[in-house]
Amino acid sequence: MTDTVRTPQRRGRSIASRRARTALLFVAPQVCGLLVFTAGPLVASLGLSFSNWDLVAPAPTFTGLENWTHLLADDRIPAVLWNTVRFILVGTTSFLLFSLIAALLTYTPRRFVGLYRAALFLPYVLSQIAVGVVWRWMFNSQSGPVTNAVELLGIPAPDWLLDPATAMPSIAMVVTWQTVGYGMTLYIAALQGVPTTLLEAATIDGANRWQRFRHVTIPIISPTVFFLTITSLIGAFQLFDPVVAMTGASVGGSGPATAGGPSNSTRTIVLYMYNQMFNYNEPISGLGYAAAIAWMLAMLIFIVTAIQFVVGRRFVYYESERAPRIKRRRERGVA
Amino acid sequence: MRNARVQTALYHGLMIILTFAFVFPALWAVSMSLRTDENMFAADQLIPHPITFEHYARLFEALPELWRYFLNTLVIAVLGTAGTLLSSSLAGFALARIRFPGRGALLVAMLLTLMVPVHATLIPQYVIFRELGWLNTPLPIIVPLLFGTPFATFFFRQYFLTLPLELEDAAAIDGAGSWRTFFQIFVPLSGPAYLAIGLLTFVSLWNSYFLNTIYLAKQDSWVLTQALQSLIGRYQAEYGAIMAGVTLVSLPILIGYLIFQRRIVHGISMTGLAN
Repeated sequence: MTDTVRTPQRRGRSIASRRARTALLFVAPQVCGLLVFTAGPLVASLGLSFSNWDLVAPAPTFTGLENWTHLLADDRIPAVLWNTVRFILVGTTSFLLFSLIAALLTYTPRRFVGLYRAALFLPYVLSQIAVGVVWRWMFNSQSGPVTNAVELLGIPAPDWLLDPATAMPSIAMVVTWQTVGYGMTLYIAALQGVPTTLLEAATIDGANRWQRFRHVTIPIISPTVFFLTITSLIGAFQLFDPVVAMTGASVGGSGPATAGGPSNSTRTIVLYMYNQMFNYNEPISGLGYAAAIAWMLAMLIFIVTAIQFVVGRRFVYYESERAPRIKRRRERGVA
Repeated sequence: MRNARVQTALYHGLMIILTFAFVFPALWAVSMSLRTDENMFAADQLIPHPITFEHYARLFEALPELWRYFLNTLVIAVLGTAGTLLSSSLAGFALARIRFPGRGALLVAMLLTLMVPVHATLIPQYVIFRELGWLNTPLPIIVPLLFGTPFATFFFRQYFLTLPLELEDAAAIDGAGSWRTFFQIFVPLSGPAYLAIGLLTFVSLWNSYFLNTIYLAKQDSWVLTQALQSLIGRYQAEYGAIMAGVTLVSLPILIGYLIFQRRIVHGISMTGLAN
């Protein structure tokens, strides 16, 4: 692919078109991947949601709107949505708050701070299954350390994962514990980008600590708050692994089929989709109904994200001279 | 002066408690895996005495093919990571450094794809891979990754945008085309980006569960997370063996984290800039 010597008058145009052709080769795998593994299946999935298929029959049978009317009437759908909301109320909010607190505690360089950051980030690299299995034991009502710690404070410990009222909040706490290090890391990068000149100017104007935080720091880190809110909500809608690890009772690898208890209080959208995908016992179930649930999930995520973009436009602050700051941060991140 | 010292002490006290709270479960899991059955629930056994490896023996009895799950996981993580790095960095390079028609549209399409949950494309993919006879093989998980992931592509694009413009000029003067410019100039300069995204991809593949449980139903095609999950039902009371499993599954990642901790954290903070 090396360029050969060309006559000067042709050179400019042919290089540009040749570049463009090469560029298409560069992006070809990614474009093919998007078409074959995302765009195509997304459309096919929508098609399947209007059909009934148990994988035994050679092809899906068209059933019109049956899956969708069933979905609207299925009383398990509001239940799984409510479980997701309960997860968000405890998990996502505490994730956003505690990661910021962790970042505020560790963003200034001082002794041992690298060690603290490393420790807080550690759970994030472990598998949600391994973490879930350990916490399942930590929550053990007779001898688990969490129970012991709570009782040490003189509070009667709840039954954690065994009580429908506390199972989902317990899972949310574990997910927060595992992901705080991730949020903290992004907040630290944002906090280090707050110009000290602005903070000094605010001090000279007589702003106290809280006022500086509220009116200087918060606006400048608001893009990161926005980013974390969007990504953590998308993640919350797709909750699966931690629930399986903490509530599933697996025999022979069929873990997800048994998860979601007690009394379905931790059954999530994806868990329900999984169960319907391999459940052909009900008249409306199987791949078609699972595809409808998956599409409902995709639309929910899209709507919630779109709402955030609209609301975020009002609250997220982008500096007018944002580009140079980003560039500085990048250079630091790269070095 | 005194006040500042008290504040420092309070700060470190608080941070030590927090550190403990985040490291404790990992320590406790290792500790439980090394205890005798009688000592399993004793509170004073963080450092077990006596130490026993019987739970590891029991783990291998319960899962005699543990080495196979380890290999399955390794194959998926290594090939998936390699494919993602190659395809995504190629696409990221073109998106960042070459003008071509459709570039803006492709970028928008990729950002939209980031929002599409894997579940919405799962069922047709499952049908296709089943037709191809790929169920219970690692192919349904590896093959899509060979085409790159939008997340990694976007990451590489952001990274390549930060490299100086003079690089292409120098390459063009030397008569190098886009391919040579990419492989001989950009790739060697982008070690940190490859390492960061490579580590993140490897860790997420090593830890993944959902897709594996869909595609790898037969026991000899399992990955480690599935093997770990399978212990729960069988060994409700056998915490020692379960914790031995947790320890073994997490150990490679823990060792990697100790070595590459700064790189991984750096990589994560670079992904935040994607926004």
